[in-house]
Amino acid sequence: MSFLTPLYLLGALGLAIPVILHLLHDRPKNKQAFSSLMFLDKTKPPVDRKRRPTHLLLLLLRCLALLLLVFVFARPFTTVDDPADATQRDRQWIVVLLDRSASMQRGDLWQQAKAKVQTAIGQLGPGDRFTLIAFDDSTEPLAEVASWLGSQSEAKVNARLEGLAKPGFGGSNLGQALVFAGEAIQEAEPEADEPPLAKREIVVISDLQKGSRLGDVQGYEWPAGIKVTLEQIGEDDQGNAGIEQVASRVPWATAGAAPSFRISNSANGISDELEFLAHTTAGETLSQKVHVPPGRSRVVELPGEWAAQPIERLSIRGDAAEFDNQFHYAQNQQQTVRIVYIGEDKPNDAEGSLFYLASAFQPTSTFDFQVEAVSGKSTGPLPEADLFVIGAAVGDALANALGRAIEGGATALMIVQSPSQAANLGQWLGADGVVIRDIASRDYALLHSLKLDDPVLAVFRDARFSDFTNLHFWKHRELQNLPDDGIDVLARFDSGAPAWLSARRGEGRLLVMTSGWTPADSQLALSTKFIPLLYSILQPVLERKTQSRQFVVGGRIDVTRFNNGQAGGGITVTPPGDGAAAVSADTVFTPAAPGLYTAKGAGWSETFAVNLTPTESRTEPIVMEQFQKLGLPMSASTTAPVTAVSAKKTAAHRREYWQWALAAMLLFVTLETVLAAKGSRPAEPVMT
Amino acid sequence: MKIGSLSLRARAVVEGFMSGLHRSPRTGFSTEFTEYRQYSPGDDVRFLDWKVMARTDREFIKKFEDETNLRCTFLVDFSKSMEFGGDDAGVKKSDYARTFAASLAWFLTQQRDAVGLATFDRDVREFIPPRYRRDQLKTILGRLETQPAGNATDLCQALEKLASLVGKRGMIVLVSDFLSPLGELGRCLSLFTAAGHDVRAVQVLHPREVDFNFEDAAIFEDMESGQSMILDPGMAREAYRQKYNAHNAALDAIFSAQGIPGFRVTTTEPLERVLRRFLEERPARAVVRQRRSNGRSAA
Repeated sequence: MSFLTPLYLLGALGLAIPVILHLLHDRPKNKQAFSSLMFLDKTKPPVDRKRRPTHLLLLLLRCLALLLLVFVFARPFTTVDDPADATQRDRQWIVVLLDRSASMQRGDLWQQAKAKVQTAIGQLGPGDRFTLIAFDDSTEPLAEVASWLGSQSEAKVNARLEGLAKPGFGGSNLGQALVFAGEAIQEAEPEADEPPLAKREIVVISDLQKGSRLGDVQGYEWPAGIKVTLEQIGEDDQGNAGIEQVASRVPWATAGAAPSFRISNSANGISDELEFLAHTTAGETLSQKVHVPPGRSRVVELPGEWAAQPIERLSIRGDAAEFDNQFHYAQNQQQTVRIVYIGEDKPNDAEGSLFYLASAFQPTSTFDFQVEAVSGKSTGPLPEADLFVIGAAVGDALANALGRAIEGGATALMIVQSPSQAANLGQWLGADGVVIRDIASRDYALLHSLKLDDPVLAVFRDARFSDFTNLHFWKHRELQNLPDDGIDVLARFDSGAPAWLSARRGEGRLLVMTSGWTPADSQLALSTKFIPLLYSILQPVLERKTQSRQFVVGGRIDVTRFNNGQAGGGITVTPPGDGAAAVSADTVFTPAAPGLYTAKGAGWSETFAVNLTPTESRTEPIVMEQFQKLGLPMSASTTAPVTAVSAKKTAAHRREYWQWALAAMLLFVTLETVLAAKGSRPAEPVMT
Repeated sequence: MKIGSLSLRARAVVEGFMSGLHRSPRTGFSTEFTEYRQYSPGDDVRFLDWKVMARTDREFIKKFEDETNLRCTFLVDFSKSMEFGGDDAGVKKSDYARTFAASLAWFLTQQRDAVGLATFDRDVREFIPPRYRRDQLKTILGRLETQPAGNATDLCQALEKLASLVGKRGMIVLVSDFLSPLGELGRCLSLFTAAGHDVRAVQVLHPREVDFNFEDAAIFEDMESGQSMILDPGMAREAYRQKYNAHNAALDAIFSAQGIPGFRVTTTEPLERVLRRFLEERPARAVVRQRRSNGRSAA
């Protein structure tokens, strides 16, 4: 039995009034002050026994009448469960987003998540639409039922659900999954004979960890009529600690720097004393204690004696969740970058260009720069290089070889220092009659009209770095008879003469500077612009050669960058574990599990490490206000549509009882009146 | 108690009593001769009766009765329980007690005796030291006229304090209902008797306190503690009387042990009769003996 206006039931508290009045009647009303109660013992209050039965009956009748009055106002009703109603229910579409990220491996979260899916399925009625989507870094629709057919559809969905034996190792991108589900609902085209959908609901079954990325939701305009229900599991998170490598991909880190690792402890962490372990390939385990208070992180540099050993895995111990405590480690290998300087400078001549060039390219943890000097008059073969720097006039044989190399894809930087280089420049630019003329400046020249959009100068695009007025050029040269096409002027002197030029020749490119960086020419070598400029020229080469050995699960690995950027084709990747089958990967490989992988090509083999996304370690739950701030159309719970439907159903088939209650109340009131009148009538005189 | 003014009431009660000297418990310098005693070496020769010596040739010392006035202090209970009464069955206990004290004070003042007053409940509220002055009686009657506004009674605490206030020996008239736990009352009273005071206790009770003759069931409220109890008097009467009698027996035993004459009066008893009974009563033997030992001996 239910009530239409249940608040009226509070009126039943009024039953206490006659009962209290009845009790009060039994207490003596008069008070007697007495000097001292020290000689008195408590006695039972006297009772007027003669009147008591009549009173009780009246009390009972009055209470019943009051109770029935409350019933009348509360409007009691019962519902009639009619199976035919099912066909008249409003259709709903429930999209379940099931989190299968690595953090779901904790405890029994996965079983809880599956149970929640079953609960959502249990609320579906015939004709409803249901979509099951699993998500981590990627979003994968698992099951789609356009019209729910009870147990048949349930079996289909369960079969797909059982296929997901356990969660994966990916990071959680909840924002992407929400937008995917929202767009799927928005773009769905209803079929002609399909009944309309009354409700569209997205049910998120996830641990809603802080590491879930929600960026995609920001700014997404939710279609009208969609409600999102968040079914959080694992609210009793006991904290977690995570490990990640710090700045592993900074190319300019010094060569001898020991790798650093950030160990972070969540705010609800159970311990602040963690153990940091290193496992060598020889099976040896090294350990040290690390103090990380809850809510803080600490960067730990790999101790020197550890770094000397071949470490394959690092781990932490002492937190509640184990899933992210391993960190597979593959030491980065230096890539060789060859720079050939063609000129007559001596390496330690501070007045020459080579000295500054060699000083600018110091070896880093990622790159080993090899600067080689070749005389311009050399008749030998041109060495292979990633960058040619030409600082003097070059003999014919070398000039021809350089021209071919540039056409074949090499990058060359020509510093025009004397009119004798005109022939070389004309040859490489494919122009006749190029003349180089020394310009005798009265004081100094400045750069202006810099083309900061060009990739070479893009590094200076930021207003903080685009000021070149402190850079003085004492001497420069003017180039005459240059071809009009194919040459970009990247910068000009304040006289209007081109300072830096860029020309595409075949696959490669030729950069020309009409004033060098020697102290006699300019202040360039001593300015803060020098090294960024040279790195910027080398950028395409460095990008091609930059290849970390640390990756995350679900990340796209460009396998062609292995083997010093010369991996070639036919690469196979062997996943971790004994007997794992090698996977052929031509260009891109996406790892699905953490561990040490081996990439093999023709004549080379390199090991790389794959780990969990660091954000997966942040397992503390997201604050619910954050979802509201992101404008998520939240609903109270998944049960809401069902209760709404049932309310509609009861409206059509309820049976009300208030009329009966009213009639009964009137009957009791009449009885009470008769009894009360009888009790108060004086006894008739007895005739004698 | 038809007369409203306390002084008039006291005067009406005292009329009919004639004045008479109280004997001082001390022998000293006065004109009234008491006895002769044979001289013994060391006696003051000033008190030798030279005429007797001349006549009989023997040395005798003359002893005289000291004619000091009586110093009487009334200790009157002003606690809440004394407010009981004032109905058909009798006057208020406090009215009765105040009238008794006022009457006796009037009477003693007539005899040129020094009269003092102390009122108390849990503690001493007022203390007027005994004096013989023209306006002393007026002051005492004025204080007695004020309505008692006390709380619970703590006889012993009040008596302890009064013992330090009342200095010279004299008569102490303690007027109370004594309806509170007796506890160490004996010890507290002994502070006065040991100091040589002539202590007399007057227990003022209302007839309903004696026989508990209420009829209807009611919520009985303790006037002092404010506690209440629903009671059927018919059922509680017997137990009340037993406890009441036991209490009074204990009180009498305490008085007897201390040599204190106790007067138990109800508010229905005529005051003149009570006053007469009171004045006719002599102090207990033990106390008299103790006083005599303090007497001066002649040389």
